Amino acid sequence: MTLLKSWDRVLADVQSRTEYQNYVTAWESKIRSMLTFDLNRDRFGAQDGPLANIPFAVKDNIAVRDFNLTCGSRILENLVSPYTATAVERLQAAGARVVGKTNLDEFGMGSSTDNSALAQTNNPWNVNAVPGGSSGGSAAAVAAGLVPFALGSDTGGSVRQPAAFCGCFGLKPTYGTVSRFGLVAYASSLEVIGVLSRGVDTLETVYDIIAGRDDRDQSSVARPQNSPARGTARVGILRQIAELSPAIDAAYRETIEKVKSLGVEIVEIDIPALEYVVPAYYTIATAEASANLARYTGIRYGHRTSDDSSMEQMVAASRNEGFGDEVKLRILLGTYVLRSGFQDQYYIRAQKIRTAIRNGFDAAFGQVDLMLTPVFPTQAFLRGEGELTPFQQKLADKFTAAANLAGIPALTVPIGVTDGLPTAMQLLAPDFAEHRMFDFARRMGVDMAAMTPDGFDEGWRK
Amino acid sequence: MNVNELKTTAQLAMLDIPDPEKLAQAFSEMLDNFSKMMAVDVEGLEPTTHALAQGNRLREDVPRGTDESEAVLDRAPEREDRFFKIPNVL
Repeated sequence: MTLLKSWDRVLADVQSRTEYQNYVTAWESKIRSMLTFDLNRDRFGAQDGPLANIPFAVKDNIAVRDFNLTCGSRILENLVSPYTATAVERLQAAGARVVGKTNLDEFGMGSSTDNSALAQTNNPWNVNAVPGGSSGGSAAAVAAGLVPFALGSDTGGSVRQPAAFCGCFGLKPTYGTVSRFGLVAYASSLEVIGVLSRGVDTLETVYDIIAGRDDRDQSSVARPQNSPARGTARVGILRQIAELSPAIDAAYRETIEKVKSLGVEIVEIDIPALEYVVPAYYTIATAEASANLARYTGIRYGHRTSDDSSMEQMVAASRNEGFGDEVKLRILLGTYVLRSGFQDQYYIRAQKIRTAIRNGFDAAFGQVDLMLTPVFPTQAFLRGEGELTPFQQKLADKFTAAANLAGIPALTVPIGVTDGLPTAMQLLAPDFAEHRMFDFARRMGVDMAAMTPDGFDEGWRK
Repeated sequence: MNVNELKTTAQLAMLDIPDPEKLAQAFSEMLDNFSKMMAVDVEGLEPTTHALAQGNRLREDVPRGTDESEAVLDRAPEREDRFFKIPNVL
């Protein structure tokens, strides 16, 4: 709890509360990380507990009672959640308080948060750069010191990539270890609620609180009684790594040397199926999205068009008006790959490749304790000229989406700062070996004191 | 991939797309990417639907939880008494 200590009871003390409010307001005028910020709305946090009066933020596709649940979409712009996600409830029971709902790419679909229909979030290191996505608001809020931790969701890298872009740790837990009850569904077989923080200890504390089986999520799993060993003697790297930006390439090589200097053996690993991560991931993700997003019809909740000439027209028009282009694209792709006659060619084939990827990781973890890869081939990109196209951004999901297909845990570890923007690497571990990654990240000894963007000054909380 | 295919797909998705040309290029680009999977030998591989799938989990059929139906109905664009209201279908 050491890293949380100086945040302890921030919301309980009038003076620190006021200074905290001012600090957040000053940052938010530059980065706009939250769609809602309200110190008084969460009335459900326990009075006592290990996280008493510690503020946190929640991605706006995770339900918190009395807060909006927009998913960054026009179609849910005015929805207020009547209930709370299990992961949030567990943190509230430990005393923590939700103070904000963070911006995201619409329904979690994107790598920049620029696909939000409701706000533009900027990277705290450079306001002309994107914060990454889709949990870009959570990453920006944590990196700017607005909250000690935030929840995000990770379907293909949506916690880890923005964490890398903004310079904080980002955990994608083992599939099913954190209940998805209250997480708005995008691609159910891939996604999991994750945590972002500037401290490994904080990440570990929060993960231990939110993990566990939940009767309200059929796919949730209990962690095994005998957790995997925590030590790391061998780290695997991929034999084939190409197309990294110079800054990421340098950070990758530097990290390998660092790992060796810790007395850890580096082992080269081949997983040929990884070449097909992107098509397999996007086939499965869009197929599941087309089914999950069929619920937005303008009937039970969300936006309804004024065109009510017929039931069918009302639904089709409400969806056209409510969804942005990226969401429409993914619904159409998913509908297409599930059409009769095409399933074997796309969806079933993608699921078989998924098996090959999983088998590849199983074999790798027979040889090594952890894997080390880049998170994303570039640092945070600037808006405008030189920006990655939406298609290039999808191709760049290859390092992160592999973990979602396999279901294994993964962790973004900040490495340093190059040209004014953070660099980061990814650790991958076998099922349930989150704590092995936490321990190894601590051994890597990231100097977070040096990783603070201009304006980062939490003097008020001491 | 032609625009008519895209329009048919949009109908199946119950989605109006007033400007199909606008989405057509991105759509084709992704389908081309998907077709790379044809190069993989998937013989003998079972499809994975969920990582760590643990099968169905059953519980006793007893009512529990709280009645939040008012809160849910209140979020409907249009309601009448205890019903969601939609355009006339008859």
